[in-house]
Amino acid sequence: MNTYLSQVKAIVWKDFVTELKTRELFSSMFVFAILVMLIFIFSINLSIVDANQVGPGVLWVAILFAGTLGLNRSFTLEKENGCLQGLMLAPVDRSAIYFGKMLSNLAFLLIMEAFLLPVFMIFFNVDLVSHLTPLLAVVFMGTLGFSALGTLLSSLSSNLKTREIMLPILLYPLIVPIAIGSVRLTGQVLDGKSLADMMNWVGLILCFDIIFISASIMTIDHILEE
Amino acid sequence: MSEASQENDSPGYSLMALAGIGILAALVAIFLYVPTEKTEGVVQRIMYFHVPSAWIAFFAFFIVFLCSILYLWKKEREWDIYAHASAEIGIVFCSLVLITGPLWAKPIWGRWWVWDSRLTLTLVLWLIYVAYLMLRAQSEAGSIRAKYAAVIGIVGFLDIPLIHFSVLWWRGFHPQPKFITTEGLGAGNDPSMNVTLLIALGAFTLLYFLLMSLRVRLERMKDEIDRIKKERLYSH
Amino acid sequence: MDNLKYLFAVNVFVWGGIFVYVFSLVRRNHSLKKDLDLLKETLKKDSGHE
Repeated sequence: MNTYLSQVKAIVWKDFVTELKTRELFSSMFVFAILVMLIFIFSINLSIVDANQVGPGVLWVAILFAGTLGLNRSFTLEKENGCLQGLMLAPVDRSAIYFGKMLSNLAFLLIMEAFLLPVFMIFFNVDLVSHLTPLLAVVFMGTLGFSALGTLLSSLSSNLKTREIMLPILLYPLIVPIAIGSVRLTGQVLDGKSLADMMNWVGLILCFDIIFISASIMTIDHILEE
Repeated sequence: MSEASQENDSPGYSLMALAGIGILAALVAIFLYVPTEKTEGVVQRIMYFHVPSAWIAFFAFFIVFLCSILYLWKKEREWDIYAHASAEIGIVFCSLVLITGPLWAKPIWGRWWVWDSRLTLTLVLWLIYVAYLMLRAQSEAGSIRAKYAAVIGIVGFLDIPLIHFSVLWWRGFHPQPKFITTEGLGAGNDPSMNVTLLIALGAFTLLYFLLMSLRVRLERMKDEIDRIKKERLYSH
Repeated sequence: MDNLKYLFAVNVFVWGGIFVYVFSLVRRNHSLKKDLDLLKETLKKDSGHE
C-alpha cells in the first residue's frame, strides 16, 4: 500500500514541479477561462436576462472549457517528452498512473478555480463569501468528476492523431450530469439554499464521481498498454 | 475461418423473411387496425414508429456495452465486431427517434423541439454514438482501436442513467400530454394501442437482428480479405 | 387532415432511412464477396503454380 501511495505521490509531485517551472498550463487555463466568461457576457443580452441566472452556467462553461485545455495539455506534455513511455516502463501499477494524473489534474483545476471565483464574483456581482463552504463543496465535487472522467478519456485520446478535437467530442456528452448538476447546485447555493435541500443533485454528482473513478481504474490497463 | 463466404445464406434469408412479415404486420396494425386517437388525430400514429425506435436505440447501446465488456475480458475480435455493428445500427435508430420526435411535436405542440427529458437523453445518446463511431473511424484497425472503443462503450453506457436523471431533474416534472409516455399509452386507452405498439416493437427488433447479421457478415468478410491479402504478401 | 403530411414525412424518413441503410449494406456485402472470391481464385492459382 505504501509503495502504491508513494507512486501516486511521485507522479503528482512530478507534475507540480514541472508546472512550477513553466507555469504554462496554469496561466493558459486561467486566461482562457476569463476569456470564455467575457465572450459569454458580451454575447448575452443583459437587458432580457438576469445576470445572476446565467452566472453559474457561464462559470461552469468556463471551467469545463479551460479544464479540457488543461487535460489535453497535460497528456500532450507527457507524450512530447516521452514521459509516458518512461512511466509505463517503470514497474508502476497502471492505476497509480491514473490516480497520479487525476489528482494533479484535479489540483491544477482547483487552483485555477480559486483564482477564477473572485473574478466571477466581481463580474456577476454575487456574494461568494457568505455561501463559501457549500460553494466550495459543490465546485470540488464537480471538478472531481470532471477530472476523473477527463483523465481517462485524455489518456485515450492523446494516442490519436486528432487528439485535440477528439477529447471534447468524447468528453462533453459524458460530462452532461456534471454540467447540469454543478450549475444547478451552484445557482441554488448562491441563492442561499442549503445543500441538505438538494441532496438528490449532490447524490447524483457523488455517484458520478465514484462510478467513473472505479470504471477508470478498471479500464486504464487497457489504455496504458504498449 | 473461411466460413464467412461459404456459410449458407438460408439463415439470412429466413431472418429477412421474418423481418419482412414483421414489418408488414406492423404496417397493417399501425394504419388499418388501430383506431385514430381522439385528441391528437392521425399524427399520434407516429408514436408507433417513435417509441420502438427509441427502445431499439437504447437496446443496441446496451449490446455495445455488453460486447465491449466481453471484448476487454476475452480479447476476441468477434465481440469487437458485434459492438461496432450494434453501434452503427443503434445510431440509425437513434437518428430515427430524433427525426420522428420533432415531426410529432410540431403538429401537437406547435414546436419542432421540446427539451423533453427523454428526447434530450436520446440526443445525448446520439452524441455518444457519434463519438464512439468517430473514434473507431480515426484509429487504425487493430486491437488498440477495439480497446479504446470498448472503453467508450462501457463508460458511455454507465453514464446513461446519470444523464437520464440529470436531464429529468433539470427540466422539472413537465406536464406532458398523456399519450407520450408508454405508461400513458397503456393506461385507460384502447388495448389495441398496446397491441400495435408491441407489434411495431417486434418488427423493429427483428429488423435490428437482420441488420446485425448483415453488418457482422460484412465485417467478417473484410477481416477475411485482409487476412488473405496478408497471407499473399508474406508468402511472396 | 393537414397533419397527414407529418405522418407521411415520418414514413418517408423511417422506411427510406432503413431501406437506404439495408441497401448500402447489401451492396457492400456483394462487392466484398466479389473481391473475396477474386482473391481466393488468385490464391488458388498461385498455389497451383508453385
